[in-house]
Amino acid sequence: MEKIAAAVRERAKRALATGEVDRVFAWKRGEFWYDVTPAVFETADETDELLWDSFCVANLSKYLTGAVRQGFKVGVFVKGCDALAFNQLLQDNRISRENVRLFGLPCPGMVDPEKLKKAKRYRGVRAVARAGDVLALQGKHGEQQVEAPAYLYDKCLVCRHPNPVVYDELLAEPQPVRTPDSDRFALVNELEAMSAEEKFLFWQEQFDKCIRCNACRNICPACSCEKCIFDNGESGVAAKANADSCEEQFFHLIRAYHVAGRCVDCGECSRVCPAGIPLHLLNRKIIKDIQAIYGDYEAGLDPNVPAPLATYRLDDADPFDGHQKGGKK
Amino acid sequence: MLLEEKTSQEQAFEPLIVAFCCNWCSYAGADLAGTSRLQYPANVKIIKVPCSCRVNPNFVLRAFQKGADGVVIAGCHPGDCHYSTGNYFTRRRFTLLMNMLDFIGIEKERFTVDWISAAEGSKFAAVMNGVLEKVHKLGPNRKMRDKRWKR
Amino acid sequence: MKKIAKDRLPELLQKMAEAGKVYAPVNKGGKTNFSVWQPGDAADLTTLRSAVPAKSVLFPQSETYLRFAQQGKKLSIETVGGEADEYVLFGVRACDAKSFALLDKVFLSEPVDQFYASRRELGTVVAVACREPEDACFCRAFDIAADAPAGADVCVWDTGDDLFWLVQTEKGERLTARLAGLLEDAGAADDAALPALQAQIRAQLDELPLAALVAEKKHQALKQLFDDEQWLACSESCLGCGTCTYVCPTCHCYDIQDYDTGTGTERSRCWDSCMFSDFTQMAHGNPRKTQKERFRQRFMHKLVYYPNNYNEIACVGCGRCLEACPVNMNIVKVMKKIGGEAR
Repeated sequence: MEKIAAAVRERAKRALATGEVDRVFAWKRGEFWYDVTPAVFETADETDELLWDSFCVANLSKYLTGAVRQGFKVGVFVKGCDALAFNQLLQDNRISRENVRLFGLPCPGMVDPEKLKKAKRYRGVRAVARAGDVLALQGKHGEQQVEAPAYLYDKCLVCRHPNPVVYDELLAEPQPVRTPDSDRFALVNELEAMSAEEKFLFWQEQFDKCIRCNACRNICPACSCEKCIFDNGESGVAAKANADSCEEQFFHLIRAYHVAGRCVDCGECSRVCPAGIPLHLLNRKIIKDIQAIYGDYEAGLDPNVPAPLATYRLDDADPFDGHQKGGKK
Repeated sequence: MLLEEKTSQEQAFEPLIVAFCCNWCSYAGADLAGTSRLQYPANVKIIKVPCSCRVNPNFVLRAFQKGADGVVIAGCHPGDCHYSTGNYFTRRRFTLLMNMLDFIGIEKERFTVDWISAAEGSKFAAVMNGVLEKVHKLGPNRKMRDKRWKR
Repeated sequence: MKKIAKDRLPELLQKMAEAGKVYAPVNKGGKTNFSVWQPGDAADLTTLRSAVPAKSVLFPQSETYLRFAQQGKKLSIETVGGEADEYVLFGVRACDAKSFALLDKVFLSEPVDQFYASRRELGTVVAVACREPEDACFCRAFDIAADAPAGADVCVWDTGDDLFWLVQTEKGERLTARLAGLLEDAGAADDAALPALQAQIRAQLDELPLAALVAEKKHQALKQLFDDEQWLACSESCLGCGTCTYVCPTCHCYDIQDYDTGTGTERSRCWDSCMFSDFTQMAHGNPRKTQKERFRQRFMHKLVYYPNNYNEIACVGCGRCLEACPVNMNIVKVMKKIGGEAR
């Protein structure tokens, strides 16, 4: 991975030095080994701080909305999921393709520091190096090697597109897909099989943890409204207060519903949730239903295919026509 | 809860149904039901909307939070939309919403979508009576009600 | 000093709960948070930080405090909110305990916040020393002793087998008296074991990546800090969510909201975040139009405005924002960037 990181730095430096782009969106090292922050690079000199490692999980595509609007020519690094997000933003007319130079990065899956912590592998670690699927945890007591897949984010374990689906140039060899697509619906299926009461209690417990920080919304590449209804005092639904549990239920249903057919299933909502709510399951339920009822559609694959809720077919399934009168069945 | 208390509450249970009716078909259907002197319960509160696809999932959830025990969306039959295609979108949107309600453990029987034309006064009454009966069986909506809300 | 075998903790909590509510860290749905302890709940003393800080007990995220209704020409008003009975807040960490002292300065100075004051007065705080501080901890930068929490009524140390129990205040004395049947007197060996345990905790603190961080009051002129170029660079990665604010034990801004109950109105206050676009929204709009300004507000408040008012930085180094920020932008980075190196 270090070799690719050097190439990444080099490419960013060249893009800025030659004036190919005005700014580069990439990642930067923070305080410690798992601490990586998205950053904007404006000069070639700054790019020495640029980073590509197992903790570059943050999606950079969403930052483009602001930069592109300001008229900058922007270079951005995209992993597989980020590229889907990029396409979705393109489809939603939030960014323009011309002003963006896309550097594709095949992604081996990102490492979840929480999982290392839970496995008691965390204490004393000062740096983490990676070669293929082997993580070398370097601490003051020497180095220990662990298998990376055991410590990847859940979302990375069911990744369908480790390789960017759109890019101007690809900076590394493509990565293999780890699991079949069907795997990502396993938990949805499990929940569907529960009784109504069990489902309700499960979600109630999850929603009760919600602190309404809006991290799920703000990280989401499909949540790109200029003004969210939940921030708009005049919408009648804005509520910072979680005075009643139905407020959270409302928020999460509407949040998931607003990205129906546009969610690229990058899993960022669940990753960033400080309360650990499995928000992506709501989105996946919708994705599963759309695939089952309206046919194969994957958001972010092709910005020119209309989104399922922005279109219709005359012979769509009609679960409401119980009386069998009129319309087509 | 004490048994007697529960029984007395159930006896007193008067469901509230909110029906979003499309201006062109279903609202006229309700009118026809009225002028034809067909019986449908007074528990149904009708909100007129320009088209069934004007109904946003927010409306449905808000209705449940603020007192509704059942919600109905009634629009023109697919193919008959006054705006040509509105109800096709309604169909997709609320198919998904209904599945979602089911997914988080809410009785989806509380939520109904149906197609009622201006000529179907009797269907309007039948649909409303059917919804009322289902909701009566389910009892008051507790899972979505805002506890601060008092009728 | 008193002590009790760790496996008898449920009995201890049960005994406390007989006299009133007990808030303890309990894992629900995969996250540990402070909630009212119920028989059968396992208090989680292993998780270092609750997801939501313990301030939520003193200053709930949402609190209804007024109900009013109009009937004809008559207006009825009912004041609710606050706490009426004594309770115990069990299991806070040194950083959270310190955060109460910082919140006190805001809520207990004139005009006194009666709801906060009632909770503060009626609560007995039992703090637990941190056996295993984590990488994101930097409480030491604020002279907070994770090995000997200050500002609590009782201090507890988890030795693995036992809980050592050391009374700090009169309130703590009263609580201890109520638990007389359960707590036993610690022996000479225990008295010797405590300093050793504390030394071991301090040794761990020395090893933390942020151990050398020094948090000093910023001495530059207000205007100079306000106009620092670094604000833009720091805020560029900020997504504008309120995670840092809501997991922060010292953030204390709130908003007031009215709810139409159909027959009246309930007025509640709830946590607000300066990171939100509608924070301090006024008729003319928002005074802080871009994320840079909102971001600056949060950190100027913690590092400059609050210290100017109360002579202390409004951060306790709990590390929650370091762990929770979706993009890992946090107060440590800001401290190092704004007004020169803090290290």
